[in-house]
Amino acid sequence: MRLLVIEDDATLRESLAERLAEAGFAVEQAADGKEGLYFALEYPIDLAIVDLGLPGMSGLDIIREARQQGKDFPILILTARDRWEDKVDGLDAGADDYVVKPFQPEEVIARVNALLRRSGGWSSSLMTAGPVTLDMSRQDLKVRDESIELTSFEYKIIEYLMIRAGQVISKTELTERLYDQDFERDSNVIEVFIGRLRKKMDPDNSIKPIETLRGRGYRFALDRGPDA
Amino acid sequence: MSSLNARLLISVSVLLLFFFGVTIVVLDTAFRSAGEQSREDVLDGHLMALLAAAEPTDGGELAMPADLHDPRLSNIGSGLYAEIRNSDGVVRWSSKSALGHELPFGTTAQEGSRLFQKESLSDGTPLLTLSLSVQWEFPDGELKPFVFRVAESLDSFNAQVAKFRQQLFGWFAAVALVMLLAISTLLRRMLRPLRQIETEIGAIEEGKRQSLSGQYPTELQGVARNMNLLIESERARSDRYKATLDNLAHSLKTPLAAMRALLNQGLPEKFSGRFDEQIERMDEIVRYQLRKPATLATRNLVLTQVSVAKEVDRLVDGLRKVYHDKDPVIETAIEDGIQFRGDKGDFLELAGNLLDNACKWCASRVRITIRQALGETGVKGGLVLSVADDGPGIPADAAEALLQRGTRLDESTPGHGIGLAVVKDIAHSYGGQLSIQTADLGGAEITVTISPATT
Repeated sequence: MRLLVIEDDATLRESLAERLAEAGFAVEQAADGKEGLYFALEYPIDLAIVDLGLPGMSGLDIIREARQQGKDFPILILTARDRWEDKVDGLDAGADDYVVKPFQPEEVIARVNALLRRSGGWSSSLMTAGPVTLDMSRQDLKVRDESIELTSFEYKIIEYLMIRAGQVISKTELTERLYDQDFERDSNVIEVFIGRLRKKMDPDNSIKPIETLRGRGYRFALDRGPDA
Repeated sequence: MSSLNARLLISVSVLLLFFFGVTIVVLDTAFRSAGEQSREDVLDGHLMALLAAAEPTDGGELAMPADLHDPRLSNIGSGLYAEIRNSDGVVRWSSKSALGHELPFGTTAQEGSRLFQKESLSDGTPLLTLSLSVQWEFPDGELKPFVFRVAESLDSFNAQVAKFRQQLFGWFAAVALVMLLAISTLLRRMLRPLRQIETEIGAIEEGKRQSLSGQYPTELQGVARNMNLLIESERARSDRYKATLDNLAHSLKTPLAAMRALLNQGLPEKFSGRFDEQIERMDEIVRYQLRKPATLATRNLVLTQVSVAKEVDRLVDGLRKVYHDKDPVIETAIEDGIQFRGDKGDFLELAGNLLDNACKWCASRVRITIRQALGETGVKGGLVLSVADDGPGIPADAAEALLQRGTRLDESTPGHGIGLAVVKDIAHSYGGQLSIQTADLGGAEITVTISPATT
């Protein structure tokens, strides 16, 4: 998942970005409003974290502009003043949730996970599809109630596919959203990881969680659980 | 006295009354004394005629001819009377007109001098009398004293004076009435701009206007301009105040957030926990102080009419996003066209905190009801805002504690107590009350009642 953090305070931005990266996200950082808007409009972004009190261009304007340009990724606002006027203005402008400073980084990560899940149409915090269950807060994947040992990149792929269960995801999209910039972008690597995932989740090839659509990409193929 | 109009009218009336009173007294006195003077002259003429007509007799008396100079003296009760008395006061002669009446004797005039007196007949008719003591020299050279006296009834004179007075009062009353009417009309005309200012200030206080219209006579333009400047600067001050708080919040909380994000990076758990506690404390203090109602600093002039339905809709839309996973059913029951007279931020704070708490605690249902409050005198205005949920509710003893500053009912749900304390502060700053009951939905129902403004 590629996140965009727009925050003018360098210490806060960098340490937050670090915590998000530790949690497995690829993170873009912008230090002012104009740069932030540029990233939001031009980069492949899964979610943006926007501070409302920005120099150059206010956070509200960024959100409005991004929404106007048809960007529909979830937006989480960071606000210092927890007056409802500000929160309502932010939500009204198109944000999806808010976190009030000073926040716990864990809280931001939890909100980000929830928003990402929501953007894929999941409403429960446990994503269940057939025998497969994914707990984003624990980064835990279970098949038939047994935890599967995954590398961090394998987890990122299954999380991305499962959030968008039913949708076809191209290799390019996966590379863009999951690699950090300094990784070499090689689509063959994705194929390798998908193959490993299939082996770990479905060693006897009975549930077939990931479908390959030739020339188009991959799809998480299991039906969502009843409470999804 | 509160009204300029009444003040001026009463002052003018008193002045008018005083001047007219003095004028009436002066005119009346002048008219009277002129009348009396002419009466006296007439009496003096009669007396002279009598003196000329009197003839001494051989018996040492005075004889009067049957035909006197004025026929009234011969007509009984004609109102003109004459008599002659000797030095002992015995009547020696009296005119026919005095028949049946005894003229009052009065004081005897000193010899040779005239004495005018006001007396009255036995039947009460007022008289003006003139008496003159003379030493009559008889042909034999003997001198005998006599008192000549003429009297005239004042009835007709008094009637004349009375008529004059009546006319005087009548005319002056009419003139005074016309003048007062004219003045009050004039006053109303002159005070109309003041009334307009009053109406417009009222409209500003109710948030229906932003400034005075500025269409006033020259004398009031300065006042109107200054008033507008004052309103303007109050607004600017209120905006600055908010901006300052925003900046303060931003510049305090961003470093706090940075500190939090930096914690756990290399610090042993033992320390990071303690640091976090301190950050939490600082945050609580900053949050509470910064969320004071906007109107604590500036009242009245900057208030506006907040469209309640629209703001609640915005809040509910926002909360539906925030509580997307829980997806509570939020019902709104808002009286048509209801307005909140005050700061928009304050209203959002009231409704926002209550709704947020309700969404946090509810099982699945939240209801917000807003209707107009009725004042003690039946005045409309103000509002009753009530938010109910179907959560666990708040026990009575905890409700008491919740209304205290910063108290939390459940430590695992941060901000609950502060939110309610802010609601309480704002309600109080608008002269309102906060109460906690059990809702018919089963959970808590928190009601804010703001009575109609008393101004």
